[in-house]
Parts: sequence; structure tokens; C-alpha cells
Amino acid sequence: MGYGNWDDTAYRAAKTFRASRGLDDFGYTAEMRGVPYADWQAHPTLDPLGVAARECRDSAEHGNSLPIAVLFDVTGSMGRVPRIMQSKLGKLHGLLRRKGYADDPQILFGAIGDADCDRVPLQVGQFESDNRMDDQLRAILLEGGGGGQKSESYELAGYFMATHIVTDAWEKRHKKGYLFLIGDELNKPKLASRHIRSVIGDGVRRDISVESIYRELAERWHVYYILPNQSSYYHDPEIADHWRGLLGQHFLKLDDPAAVCELIALTIGLAEGRVDVDSGLADLRDVGSAAEAAAVGKALAATGPRIRALPSGRN
Amino acid sequence: MFRSHIIVVDLGFGDAGKGATVDWLCSAEAGLGVAAVVRFNGGAQAAHNVIAEGRHHTFAQFGSGTFSGVPTLLSRHMLVEPIALAGEARQLAALGVPDPLSLLRIDGRALLTTPIHIAANRAREDARGSSRHGSCGRGIGETAWYALEHDAPTVSDCLHPKVLRVKLQALAAHYGPLIAPSEHRYEPIADLVDMYSEFALAVRIVGGEQLARFARRGRLVFEGAQGVLLDEWRGFHPHTTWSTVEPRNAHAMLAEIGTTGDVLGVTRTYMTRHGAGPLPTEDPTRHLPEPHNTTGRYQGEFRSGHFDPILLRYAIAVSGGIDGLAITHLDAPGTRYAATVYAIHDGIVDHLAPGRWQDLDHQQRLTDLLGMAEPILTEMPEDVMPWLEQELDTPVLLAADGPTRKHRTPTTTTIAAA
Repeated sequence: MGYGNWDDTAYRAAKTFRASRGLDDFGYTAEMRGVPYADWQAHPTLDPLGVAARECRDSAEHGNSLPIAVLFDVTGSMGRVPRIMQSKLGKLHGLLRRKGYADDPQILFGAIGDADCDRVPLQVGQFESDNRMDDQLRAILLEGGGGGQKSESYELAGYFMATHIVTDAWEKRHKKGYLFLIGDELNKPKLASRHIRSVIGDGVRRDISVESIYRELAERWHVYYILPNQSSYYHDPEIADHWRGLLGQHFLKLDDPAAVCELIALTIGLAEGRVDVDSGLADLRDVGSAAEAAAVGKALAATGPRIRALPSGRN
Repeated sequence: MFRSHIIVVDLGFGDAGKGATVDWLCSAEAGLGVAAVVRFNGGAQAAHNVIAEGRHHTFAQFGSGTFSGVPTLLSRHMLVEPIALAGEARQLAALGVPDPLSLLRIDGRALLTTPIHIAANRAREDARGSSRHGSCGRGIGETAWYALEHDAPTVSDCLHPKVLRVKLQALAAHYGPLIAPSEHRYEPIADLVDMYSEFALAVRIVGGEQLARFARRGRLVFEGAQGVLLDEWRGFHPHTTWSTVEPRNAHAMLAEIGTTGDVLGVTRTYMTRHGAGPLPTEDPTRHLPEPHNTTGRYQGEFRSGHFDPILLRYAIAVSGGIDGLAITHLDAPGTRYAATVYAIHDGIVDHLAPGRWQDLDHQQRLTDLLGMAEPILTEMPEDVMPWLEQELDTPVLLAADGPTRKHRTPTTTTIAAA
């Protein structure tokens, strides 16, 4: 389109100029390193406490907003994924827009930790359609904590997404958004009401079952879980069974974590009926993601054509 | 060998080897004590190939002395494109140049080439269909043209986001009718303004005093872009560039700081031309390897022809004379012929007369003349250097028999003359 090279974007240029000034890609995390751990807190723009709602609204310029939320586990080994998301953000948004996979994508980033032991178990940004997405990623705190109990607070994030997000897509068009959870562990056995109170601030008094959270979420979101290959849990059948039980075919295993942006873009393109697998993979190769295309192809082949089934299975 | 500051210009249509020449002038081998490379025309469309110390880079906005750590001044005559500049900085960093952006000084008065200009350029060139001008599709012409009539965005506007936003909105509104029906698009203006603000923080934006500051530290090398035969007023209209390619702007800048410079004219031992326009000695049967010049979507094919002293003497004349030659591609095979005269109808032409400056009717007549010129060829002698000096009435100061820095040597003539 307007550019000779896919990487010739304002986004990449701004990042290069920032880097030359020695600004860390995750400036907020770097800042927190100088603060005692007990005082760590979410960046004000990402703190869910007391937030009434995050909004995804149409604008004069973008009249058909499509909400896309990407929440990744930032504990321990998952630290690479946010870095990949950041380095490839331009590509994700570019693929969605320029290849016509989605008309007016607005992307929200968030981060998930462990509410039992982390200082900052949930961070949720805003829906953005421009360079502010990058600011959001830079403000994410990569706490790197987590317990050793093979579970993170995905269900707490799911609760926030089900109850504290308002979208024009749903309200005006009854159209679902896309929620991608990226991680490598299980939900907590149930959603503890004390976590909701302390992290989000809602006056909830009863614990909630994990199944009911995802059931409610599925009413307004296409929910996907991506398990990237970088932990000992990649081949653990318990993880796969757990998420397949909740999301059916929307559980995706990804060989190469570097392909996570491409997988998200193509998954949306497929679900929106804008592209088929073969031409989508060709698009990826076109934009210089040949290695990623192979990993994406494999991730999608595992679920086959069922990826087009719109509602998330039995949930 | 060089008494003063050096202005390097390409005497042909570009691609003669300015980049490699400037790289050599700036190198430790040359020992010329270069303080800065000054770009005085063109913009991001320049493509100056430098191969040195096992590295290759196609310089576009960074000066070709960068491998030697010589800083670059992008003068007020440059068209600056920050997105491409960032890409080039990344490439240079990958080649081991530490913090490339720190080597840049950019005159705040320089015009900004934006994605809006680029989209407009491509939309216009697509609409021309088969009668393309040979544009590179990099927005150069649109940048220069828009600035003639409008309050165009400049580099210093990047320091003032509100001013810049207003100018970009005006630019977008101006080009809306051209771009909207085309396949070309650009990113939201808010994103562009954010990026240009980052750009302003990452590079040093300077005023007119910077040139004198560099000159106090050592020798200046003015690196021309493109070729004199593409000059906006002296080239063969309409197949020209929106840029003053001949050395007048470089001379004027030196005069402003109270000094002068020698002009080094660069030519291959044959002629080349990228894209449309006259090339009288063109020989389509010649297939020389051209690893760094390929057919571009907007620029068209890379053409080549025999050595043409008639064109080169014209280039020297419109440059106001030159002080020395840098001859490149002495190793190229099959370059034995040169044009002596052109046959035209019932007569011959051995001389192209420069017209009055900015007389485009005259330039159009030259174009028409060249369009019907049939070159009469002669074989060049084995020992070609003295012959070239005689044909162009200029001493050869630098000779290159290959693409890398190692292949460049100051000539014996030079040493004897010095």
C-alpha cells in the first residue's frame, strides 16, 4: 500500500528513535526495579482497581470498531511474550488493517499474574488504535513472580473482561470481540471473592466458579487461549484438557512464541471470514514472517477448519 | 591533492560512484582529515553504495563517510524523511556502527518528506500510466513542489507538535482528492506527529551556524545526490529531478562561511540511467552485472550505454567547471567505445550548449535533440586515463577498478601534479 516495505512504519521509526535515547522497551518495569518490591504497583493507566469500565467506542474515523483484547501471563517464563508483542505490535495492527482482516481494530493489552502471591496480579489497559498501544505495553509491569502451583489468576482477568468492558461493537451491532489469553498454566480452582475485592474493588462476597466466568465471557467474546512452547507445561496434558474443557477448539498450541502476533492476526482474519488459512499464511510470508507462518500453520492445523465455528463450542 | 573543501558531484544520471568516492575521501587511508559530510540536495531516494572493510551499505540519508565515523550534516537543501532515516539507522547499527543517529546534524529549515507526500507521489505516478517520469516513488518531487506554494512542514516543526499537526492536516487535505481514489494510504496523523516528536528528541536539529562549526574542525565533503544531468534546471526536461544537483548550492554554502571548495566530478567509464529519459549511447545488448541497481516499480529499468564525452562535457559546463575527476568502473568489461559525435538528420552535433539558467524551453530542445541523436562511436585506447583527461579537459584525481574502498587509488597524475 503506501509503503515499499512493511517495516517502514511510523511505529517502528518512533521505537527506533526512542531506543536511541536509551529508553527501555519496558520503561515502567525498569523504573520499578529501583523501588522496594513491597511497594511495586501497577502503572496508573493499567490498574484495574476502581475502574468502572474500559471502553471500545466507534469514532468518526473508525465507525466499525472491533475490540481485541490480548492479556498475557507475565509470570516467570512468560516474560518473553510481552517483549515479542511489543516488537511485533506494528505488524499485528498492520496485518489487521492493511490486509483487511478487521476494519477498525482497537487493541487492549493486559497482563495476568498470580493473585495469591504477586504484588500486581492484574493489569488492564485501554482499547487503542494507534501508537498509544505501544505506550500501554511500555507501562506494563513485568513482575515475573508467580507461585509454583501451576495456576495463575486468568479467571480474575476473565471476570474483569466479562463485567468491566463496554463496547460499541456489542451495544450497537451485537458483535462479539476477541479475547486472547496467552499463558502456560491453569486457572485457579475458583475465583476468590477476596481477589475481586482487593484487585478490582467490586464488593463481591461469594466465590465464583471458573466455568461460570468463561460461560458469561463467551456471550460477548470469542475467547482463545494460546499456549506458547516455552515452558515445561507445553506437553502437559492437564493444561490442554483444562483449557479445551473451557474453550473447546479455541485452545491453541503454538510451537514458536515469536509467532504469537501472526497467530492472533490470522485467527481474527479467519473468524471474521476475511481470509482462508492458505492465503492468510501467504500473507504472513509476504510480510516477512516466513518462519512464523510455519508455526501458525501448525497451530491452526491442529484445530483444522473448525476454527471457523463461531461460538466457542459448548460453552 | 585537494587544497580545500571538496564537492562531489555525479556528472551523469546518477549511480556513478559518489558514495564509494565519499567513503574513500573520509577514510583513514585518504588521510584528508574530513570533519563532516554535508548533504546538499535530494533526500531519501539517494542510493549510494559503499563496500568497505567487509561491510556493504546503501547510503540514503546518512552521509557515505559514516563507516569512518564522520558525522553528516543534512543541510537546509535536503528533503528529510525520518521514517526511512530510522530504518537506515537500524541497518547501520546492525553493521556495527555505534549509535548512528548521534552522527547526524539536521538543519531545522530542511523540508520534511512525509508518508502523505509519498502516497501522493505514488498515486500521481500510477495515474500517469505508461508516460511515467521515472520517479523513485519516494515523495521527493511532491515535497519540493508542495513547498513552493504552501507552508510545508520542516524539520524544526517536529519540535512543535501543534504546529506540525496543523501543517500535516493541511497537507492531507490538499492531497485528499489525489490519494483517496488510489491504492495508497498513510498512517493516522496523530501517529505521525508522535513519531516526529520522537525523531526531534533523537537527532540534533541545528541552525545555519553548524556548517562553520564543522569547517573549523576540518575539511568538509559535500556529497551530491543523483547526477548533474538530472538537475531540475540543467537536466533534460521533463526527465529531471526536483532538486538542484549541480554544485551551486554547495558553493553558496561555502561562500556563506567565507571559503571555497574544489569540485570532484564522478563518472563511470560508461553511461547509465535509471528510468525514463534520453540516453543517446544506450546499447540494450550490454548486460553488465549491476548488483545494487535493479528495476524499481516506480523508477523503471536500469539502462546502460557507452561512454559519452559530449554529455559529460555538458555536465561539466553547467557545473561551472570542475577541478578533478574520479573515474570508476575501470574494471567493467566491454566498455571500449565512446561517442565522438551524434548524427542528427543531415548534420552532426559534437557539443550541447548550456542555455540560460532555468530556461526549460531550452532544456526541452536539448531533450528533443538527444531523442533523435545517433551516436558515432570510436574505440577508446587501451591506456584510457590520459585519453579521458584530454576528452574532459580535467585531471583524474581518483581511479577505481572495483567496488570496494580498497579498489580506489589516487592517480599518478595527481601525485605528479601535486
